[in-house]
Amino acid sequence: MHIYLLQAVTQNPDSSYWYLPVGLQLLFAIAFVGLMMGVTHLLGPSRKTADKLSNFESGIESVGNARQPMAVKYFLVAILFVLFDVEVIFFYPYAVNFKSLGWEGFLAVMMFVGFFLCGFIYIIKKGALKWED
Amino acid sequence: MSNEQLLALLPFMVLAGASIVVILMIAARLSHTAIQVAGFLMLCFTVLAMGYVRDILPQEILPLFIIDGFAALYTGVIIFSVGVVGLLSYIYFEEREENPKEYYILLFLATLGAAVLTISRHFVSLFLGLEILSVSLYALIAYLRNRNNAIESGLKYLILAALTSAFLLLGMALFYMETGSMEFNAIGQKLAGSDPGVLFKLGLALMVVAIGFKLALVPFHLWAADVYQGAPAPVTAFIATASKVGVFAVLMRFSLAVNLQQSEFLLNVFSGIAIASMILGNILALRQQNIKRLLAYSSIAHLGYLIVAFLPGTREGIEASVFYLFAYAITILSAFGIVTILSTRMKDAEDLSVYRGLFWRKPLLAAVLAVSLFSLAGIPLTAGFFAKFIVLLTGANYNLWLPVIVLVLTSVIGLYYYLRIISTLFASAPAAEPRHKPLHPFFHFVTYATLFVLMVMICVLGVFPGPAIEGIRQFLMIR
Repeated sequence: MHIYLLQAVTQNPDSSYWYLPVGLQLLFAIAFVGLMMGVTHLLGPSRKTADKLSNFESGIESVGNARQPMAVKYFLVAILFVLFDVEVIFFYPYAVNFKSLGWEGFLAVMMFVGFFLCGFIYIIKKGALKWED
Repeated sequence: MSNEQLLALLPFMVLAGASIVVILMIAARLSHTAIQVAGFLMLCFTVLAMGYVRDILPQEILPLFIIDGFAALYTGVIIFSVGVVGLLSYIYFEEREENPKEYYILLFLATLGAAVLTISRHFVSLFLGLEILSVSLYALIAYLRNRNNAIESGLKYLILAALTSAFLLLGMALFYMETGSMEFNAIGQKLAGSDPGVLFKLGLALMVVAIGFKLALVPFHLWAADVYQGAPAPVTAFIATASKVGVFAVLMRFSLAVNLQQSEFLLNVFSGIAIASMILGNILALRQQNIKRLLAYSSIAHLGYLIVAFLPGTREGIEASVFYLFAYAITILSAFGIVTILSTRMKDAEDLSVYRGLFWRKPLLAAVLAVSLFSLAGIPLTAGFFAKFIVLLTGANYNLWLPVIVLVLTSVIGLYYYLRIISTLFASAPAAEPRHKPLHPFFHFVTYATLFVLMVMICVLGVFPGPAIEGIRQFLMIR
């Protein structure tokens, strides 16, 4: 039957059978995962110990709880860093094509920097970069 | 880009500039009142700019945008809704949040996203518009983060919207694979004459998931009630009007470009969605005691009615849908306006018990709410009746009998729960209410006046819809 379907593919490349291999692969992937998980579950020995239930931290015994309140400033600085990082990334292609883009490109980049500057002023005035209260 | 093309984008640039202006005003530590007034002025400038560029329309800015009468109408409805939402926001946020100013940045950005959707003719501008809209909405929904449901509803919206964005992107990729283009018109030309392939159908199915989520149509409606309930009342009004108008506009433009309605199969799919939305939305609202959730379910039903106008895919369909959206926006804004005004510092006025005997305490507010509920139910002499009528007319003209019959039947179901609220308004036994002096007499006056104007508009549109229809027709000629 498969051979029949494959013939349909070769004869008629525009039909939906064209996607048959994709579908077969999908089925194979699901079946493979199911088989592997099922077989290991059935065949593998299962020993339950207390050590297995504890967190694995590079072989070192874990100390304390990781869920501690942390100053939100770290997050703020990190996200602002990402923001300015992206700005720099946009500058690279412009710097490479600086000559060929001419005045029009210069104005566009100036506008971009201007909008960014507004955001920067806002950040500073809001005190987001002030580390100590 | 020529000067005229640049000029045609002026309203959108003003809208984008508005958020920058608000950012700088916050940096300069100006008061909430100043920002509110400046925001309102920027919206007025946007409207003026729209009037100013009207004569040079239509302009096509290849490959991303097209600014024509169609876009102008939908953008107009969005700007109108945001203007009202902005007016309602002042008292609401001034009383609650120590820090209400960033709200306006997000509001303007969300508006910009919705407005970009109406002018997009390319998948890239569609996606960018949709993301600007949704990312602002995530923050707007969870804005009052100390409230019980705010974070929950914001998170629900975030996860579901991000998931459906993935659906949308994969759908776009499949379209691109099938047709080799991302422009709506080019996709339409590639598909013309040939039977759409399996990739196209798959891509469309994925896109229907994303669009259906944003419009809260039935199989994708589960977020609506929770988000409507958890979001601050003005933001809920924004979600119910501006965001849906934008998404519907882009759906309409896309379907017209690729002749979606020509395909019998797709027509059946969309009628199925419409029928399911009408029935489920109305039935879920029947026993609802929470007015924000009730309005959420009723909005699901109303979007179902709107899809009936979308089905023919003709000029009449567009006219009906624009009129419907306009009438619906006015109505739902006045309903949420009442919810906003009656809300207390700790809690939104969402329980039906708050409204018991409202007429005997605050006759004006009760009258506005009653009129808007009549309009939602589609009682004659209100805008809602006429909007529903022309949707019915378009559906009947194109022999879409099943959706039309379902529309009529479910409207009758809807009548039950709208009338239930109205009877509560006029019930006796008014609850003893602690009187407190309004903090901002001027803004209270402005808000009351706005709501009164909205009520008058509902009635005028219901009695003399002619001029509005004629205006819509003239705008649609600009293409």
